[in-house]
Amino acid sequence: MQSADVRTGTLVGPSEQEIDEVDLVPVRTYWQLVRKRFLRHRLAVMALVVLTVMIIVSTIVPLATGDAYKRSSIPLINDGPSLQAPPGYNQIGQNQFVRLMRASQTTLVIGFAAVFLIGIIGTVVGAIAGYFGGWIDNALMRFVDVILSLPFLFLILIIVSLFGFRDVRVVILAIGIVGWTTAARLVRAEFLAIRETDYASAAKALGVNHQRLIIRHLLPGAMAPLVVALALGVADAVITESALSVLGFGIAPPEVSLGQMLNDFRENFFAHPERIWYPGIALVIIVLCASFLGDGLRDALDPRQKADG
Amino acid sequence: MLTYTIRRLIQAIPIMLGISLLIFMIVQLAPGDPVDRFRTPQVRPAQLEALMRLYGLDRPIWEQYFKWLIAFFQFPFNEAAWGYSFNTNQPVRDMIFDRIPATVTLMGVALIVTIVVSLPIGIIAAVKQYSLADKIISGFATIGYALPSFLIGIYVLMFGGVWLAQLTGGAISFPLFGKQSLGKEGDVLDMAWHLVLPVTALAIQSIAGFSRYLRASMLDVLRQDYVRTAKAKGLSGRKVIAKHALRNALIPFITLIGLSLPALVAGAVITEAIFSYPGLGSLTINAIGANDFPVVYATGMLTGFFVILGNLFADILYGVVDPRIKY
Repeated sequence: MQSADVRTGTLVGPSEQEIDEVDLVPVRTYWQLVRKRFLRHRLAVMALVVLTVMIIVSTIVPLATGDAYKRSSIPLINDGPSLQAPPGYNQIGQNQFVRLMRASQTTLVIGFAAVFLIGIIGTVVGAIAGYFGGWIDNALMRFVDVILSLPFLFLILIIVSLFGFRDVRVVILAIGIVGWTTAARLVRAEFLAIRETDYASAAKALGVNHQRLIIRHLLPGAMAPLVVALALGVADAVITESALSVLGFGIAPPEVSLGQMLNDFRENFFAHPERIWYPGIALVIIVLCASFLGDGLRDALDPRQKADG
Repeated sequence: MLTYTIRRLIQAIPIMLGISLLIFMIVQLAPGDPVDRFRTPQVRPAQLEALMRLYGLDRPIWEQYFKWLIAFFQFPFNEAAWGYSFNTNQPVRDMIFDRIPATVTLMGVALIVTIVVSLPIGIIAAVKQYSLADKIISGFATIGYALPSFLIGIYVLMFGGVWLAQLTGGAISFPLFGKQSLGKEGDVLDMAWHLVLPVTALAIQSIAGFSRYLRASMLDVLRQDYVRTAKAKGLSGRKVIAKHALRNALIPFITLIGLSLPALVAGAVITEAIFSYPGLGSLTINAIGANDFPVVYATGMLTGFFVILGNLFADILYGVVDPRIKY
């Protein structure tokens, strides 16, 4: 709280020790509150640590080993565990440890990049629909309805098959093109609410143009639920990428992703069941961490929204 | 109610047209044209042009679209309404109707198993909140919900198809790749034997979702005043739960069942692919992989149609079970 100093006639700013007069709690900034609420969510903090470690390791190992993940050597086919390759070598003599690290890297890159794309498309469409309303809103939202009436995977599979080749960019693009609908609905709903607030009317009355009003005044208010949805979307994107690989529509060898390592399951059922386990466990860790992180972010950024169950 | 249903059906028409347009446009984006597969050095260009004319591919895009759309709805009378498969030259209509029974059986059995299992465990978790049973159920639900369906499928296949057979010395074994059969092929027993593993895989995931949902809505209802009143007037716990709480907690649960009806026909693409199950899902996957456009068009239209119908059905059902909802 600011109070006027009567004698000198100057404003006294808030000092560090100042106590809020109403509820006697030290004044905190928005970000201090966010950090406090996030740190209270133990599972989310743990998930953040695990995910950070995974990102660092799966970046360093492929950098250090170069193209070792695609090199195969005949004498090492189905070789057991060793110091160079703790999980051993696969049926074409590739180092499974290096492959696992490269696969985690690819899967994480696809997950985050696809969500980034979803965020951009969703924000642009949602902002336009929510801000302008009327027939533009109607047309865009009916388009969203049409996309949502078709199964997610069905559309992604068709788009991937249209490209005729399969690499990381195609998979990211396909997930982004199909996946933006929920984000767009979310941003639109926030915009409809924020558009009617006093500060938005005030900005409009001051003659702020459309572009500035959307970017500077409305968008920051819509950010919190969007960030939460996108964090949870990383898990979905990772799952989608792996599902594509398991169905045979993912990135093509010699590139490798976790889903692709799992895709060898039919050959490995009898002799090497462990080869189905470790890519699966890596995938589960990524998916669980991303959703715990999303839950923590929701509690921290958007406390009005409560998790169910 | 009737006017509401009719209004919703009319509203569904533009969405259906949108779906048809979207599918048509996406497939039009594909590089090359449908006669490319005949383009070999032995075929003269004039013959290809004749083929294009025969199939109407030299007409403008919009004319092709309307011809296709009008023909599509003539499927009860016309074998060729959905075209012929590029790969097998069979009528697409018959290919799809051949697969539908298998998919409806798989998804129907999975849905029934899901409802039967998730009802009691959802209720127990809510009534005995924070007990050990609740913690186990909720833990299972959280993990089952987060796990991707293909992982559950692969591990179920590994446990049921490989480990169980190894542990029991082959006394109990389930089909691994769909080729084996038990007794006579097509028997009820043989079908059930093939259904066990895919149904288990599908049910694990949906039980997790359904029981979580039921637990949340049951907890919500148990906090209501009328439940406290029922307890206060001396009713037994069982009666309060079964007669007063459960009936209201079931309302959102029934909606959830309504929303999962489209999947009865659309099938589970991933689970069907992993278990080599001959349903609509694996037909779709193979068609997309082989650029068999007539099949892709038809399965896409059919799926979109059933999703819209399923949503409508869920909304109407909601009004039926909850008299507070007025349309």
